Amino acid sequence: MAFNILLVDDSMTVRAVIKKALTLAGVDVGNIYEAENGAVALEVLDKEWVDLVFADISMPVMDGEQFVTKLNESGAIQELPVVIVSSAGSEPRIARLKSLGVRDYIQKPFTPEQIREVVDSVMGVASHE
Amino acid sequence: MNETNFAEMQATFLEVVEKLTFMFGEEAEMDEIEVGDEPWVEARMKFTGDLNGSLAVIVQESLQPEIAANILGLDADGIDTKEMLDDALREMLNVVCGHVIMALVGQDSNFDLFAPSNEVLPSEALQVLMSDSATTAYLLDDEPLLLHLQIEQG
Repeated sequence: MAFNILLVDDSMTVRAVIKKALTLAGVDVGNIYEAENGAVALEVLDKEWVDLVFADISMPVMDGEQFVTKLNESGAIQELPVVIVSSAGSEPRIARLKSLGVRDYIQKPFTPEQIREVVDSVMGVASHE
Repeated sequence: MNETNFAEMQATFLEVVEKLTFMFGEEAEMDEIEVGDEPWVEARMKFTGDLNGSLAVIVQESLQPEIAANILGLDADGIDTKEMLDDALREMLNVVCGHVIMALVGQDSNFDLFAPSNEVLPSEALQVLMSDSATTAYLLDDEPLLLHLQIEQG
């Protein structure tokens, strides 16, 4: 099954690295959408079917925590797995994000294998719910 | 910052940079750093929380394509815009900053990182940074790199 994936990060470098990692990890990817902050990501989610979101924490306009809070408030996060990819993931922050419904956290820098493991884990859980 | 923290910061920086860029990093003495004629570029970001201050990575412009290419897994020739070069340097700083802060104040710390910015450093500003005790010197694949960690007291 090919997954439509939304990458939310203000760095084009990170978005490119995640795309490459998904390819190297052999993840079956359908469409990849990109957003430079949480507000743009919400617009994408209004228009497109997305199976999985990778989101940074520190972003201008709407950061990752605000984005996840919006998804939590709308209930969308129960159906839409969100994985945080960041270097600003202290334990209290990760716990807070997980309490809002975030499925997993990947610390930068990461390997394609870590991306694969998280996709397997998160989408596996989602597909059995 | 005490000596233990200082050593922890240096070790964390080198470990993260090597993992991110696949380039070999080592500590250097400031007098090993050759300024040369080409511009130096600084990427700097602020952080607040359990630790307040800013962190900057400063490199010569000629090192930027190699850093960007290694992060992206491309040939340096494939990095053709200044926007890509500057974005990659900012991202390297972003990753380093999160790890350095957690190395200094712990995994259970609370902090926020602010969006990094780039600028070409005037030579006077570079000289000031190089004489600042908060600046440490490194060689990344034998090319000079400076790290400036400014911590606000109180």
